[in-house]
Amino acid sequence: MARQLTPLGRFLLVLAGLSLLGYGLYRYGVLARIAGILAPEKRAEGTVSRDDFGASPAAGTESAAPAGAATAGAPLGGGTRLNRPIKVAIVLWGGYAGGIMANGGLAPNKDSVFAKDFGVQVELLQIDDFTKSRDAFRAGGDRGGVDIMWSTVDAYALEYGGLARLSPKAIMQYDWSRGGDAIAVDASIKSVRDLKGKRLACAEATPSHYFALYVLTQGGLTNRDVDWKFTDSAVDAANVFKAGQVDAAVSWSPDVYVAARERTGGHILASTKEATNLIADIFVARGDFLERHPEDVRRFVGGWLRGVDMVHKNPERAAVLLQKSLSGVNTLDDAKGMLEDVKLPDYAENRAFFNPQGSLVNYQSIYQTAQNIWRKIGKISQVYPGYQTVDTRFLEGASEYFPQAGAVKPEFEFTAPPRAQAQPILTKTVSIYFPTGSSTLDENAKAVLDTQVVDLAATFGGAYLRVAGNTDNVGNRESNQRLSRARADAVARYLVSKGFDRNKFEVVGHGPDKPVASNDTDDGRAKNRRTDFEVIPR
Amino acid sequence: MEVREPVPQKKARGLALAGLLAFLGVWSVLSYADIVPTVILPSPTEVLRAFPVLHFEEALVRSAGWSLYRVGMGFVLSALVAIPLGLLMGTFPPVKHFLSPLVDPLRFLPISALVPLFLVWFGIEETMKIMLLFVGTFVYLLPLVVEAVENVDDVYLQTATTLGASRWQLVRHVLVPGSLPSIGEALRVMNGIGWTYVILAEIVNARLGLGHIITVAGKRSHVDQIFAGVLVILFIGVVTDWMIRVANKQLFAWKS
Repeated sequence: MARQLTPLGRFLLVLAGLSLLGYGLYRYGVLARIAGILAPEKRAEGTVSRDDFGASPAAGTESAAPAGAATAGAPLGGGTRLNRPIKVAIVLWGGYAGGIMANGGLAPNKDSVFAKDFGVQVELLQIDDFTKSRDAFRAGGDRGGVDIMWSTVDAYALEYGGLARLSPKAIMQYDWSRGGDAIAVDASIKSVRDLKGKRLACAEATPSHYFALYVLTQGGLTNRDVDWKFTDSAVDAANVFKAGQVDAAVSWSPDVYVAARERTGGHILASTKEATNLIADIFVARGDFLERHPEDVRRFVGGWLRGVDMVHKNPERAAVLLQKSLSGVNTLDDAKGMLEDVKLPDYAENRAFFNPQGSLVNYQSIYQTAQNIWRKIGKISQVYPGYQTVDTRFLEGASEYFPQAGAVKPEFEFTAPPRAQAQPILTKTVSIYFPTGSSTLDENAKAVLDTQVVDLAATFGGAYLRVAGNTDNVGNRESNQRLSRARADAVARYLVSKGFDRNKFEVVGHGPDKPVASNDTDDGRAKNRRTDFEVIPR
Repeated sequence: MEVREPVPQKKARGLALAGLLAFLGVWSVLSYADIVPTVILPSPTEVLRAFPVLHFEEALVRSAGWSLYRVGMGFVLSALVAIPLGLLMGTFPPVKHFLSPLVDPLRFLPISALVPLFLVWFGIEETMKIMLLFVGTFVYLLPLVVEAVENVDDVYLQTATTLGASRWQLVRHVLVPGSLPSIGEALRVMNGIGWTYVILAEIVNARLGLGHIITVAGKRSHVDQIFAGVLVILFIGVVTDWMIRVANKQLFAWKS
């Protein structure tokens, strides 16, 4: 008895069949696979932990000055002299004081140090919009853009791929951020560990982001431990923090300090005032420009660093000029504040920075670390070797202008000991193996310190480091305490041998008094045998 | 060429194709001959090569889905608010005059300047993005709806009144059907505006989205990816526009 199906019946039957098929495909993962082909997920985001920073052992000591290279002091041959001003993209930031001083302002002028002593005309262009500054760099100075742009080493490692076709090169460092970047947090957050699970705003893939990753990982967290809220700019990050939309924000001065002040209970958790050697501002020049006008670039570098010396001799005048030249500086006090947020490295410091065996934290070490981290969190897929991104000929060639430049002097003065009540910003816990009853560092232990602690100590150049030895509860408490102190002391002495000030370190032996795990298990006891490195602001 | 000379469909298609080819030709010459450096204007092949990268690494399809969702939500919301309000204002001039000091200047609202405010008011999640798209399209849609209602010929109203229609019946059977075709056209324009604002809406805390892809590509100097992202937006814009046009034709057949 064949009955004709109504159109509705046929439709329902087909629908039922399709749903069954769909469920089957879903159940056996076929659907997910099809979705993976038609609409793949974003590039996977890996985990960044503390081992990603400072993993490449840096040799040499903080005060080592590099030997002069073959090009030292000589004018650079090849190419022609430029018949227009060198165009440089800058932003509202105190780090440009050196160049502004040497140029007597932003506009090219014949009475400037650049023109009179170095024979080059320089035009500084304030382009505060990041993307526009990059557009200008891509256009180039001959086509209404710029020849040289600002960047930070960490961000440069990220954006190099997009610019690779211009074969850009880093030519000099003009500042270290010293308080210019900071993390503002709400009242509930007292140390880095409290950031776990919190909403953290910052502009993605910027120095703010890099700074946050550094502080998080050194404090024992990973990039996956916080709920990132990425904003378009650092100013936006500060604003959403001020409005209470997030628990913490990384931004720059002065916005981040204003936000921390204006939000009830808000305060600054960490800044580049402590992490002094992390965010390095550098100038990057177009490859074609360097090839055509190398001598102009050498003179530019020399003139700028002469300007840095002038700022150091007369900061008052630099502040006046900064206020007059940059748009957005309202008062002289603002200008002075901007100068306090940066450290302008001089010629010798520049040489040490670009020497892989020079400073403990140098261009190559930051570049490699940053590139590795951006790759890990899926921001870049292609990597470029550090040496390809830099050209030190101009810096070396400028040595004739700085005959007095010698070794780099230690920058920070430490008076022992740190204030007792000072709260550590973060505590990095490291397991260092000592033979039973001994406080001698073997080669293994030294290697651990080289990779885990030397970079930390150098990056937090402006902070004390409390070295706290801890033991498990096996054995006599008194002798454990004595031993833990002796071991911490051995660690500190080793670090001093790397070129740090002895007063930077405070040595403490807690013995078994501060366990972090139960002493009833082997595993717990192993965790308790540890050295804590507490970063304490000066 | 005569003024307003009608063109047969076949010829029209041919002309469109020729225009497209001419554009591609100019682009190819400028980029392949390196008249404009490729870091400023990428070549067609580079843009094509950006698609697999965006597809496999930046979740292009998912991003398109999210942008569609955001633009769609903003679109629906602004239609839901602007059409009834516009009908009310177009039907009862006192309401219009009461609201005009608010509504008229809104057309000049600089949406881009509102982003920081919207962040503070609506947070950094989806609400903020959809509200931005809603406000961005609403301020344009409302005056168009009012105008559509006002443009319904008085003849129809008078005829209906003579036939004894009540106030409600005038609205229901004369003004609404009379203005809907123009409102449908206005919605097409809103779709276009929505897709231009999506870049702005996705500037903050958007893990996926075409606007996000374009912004990031801009920051990293990947000009080829910017072009590819823009092409996808253009494609979706044209397709959705066509869909609205077909829907208008089907729904408001009485217009012609």
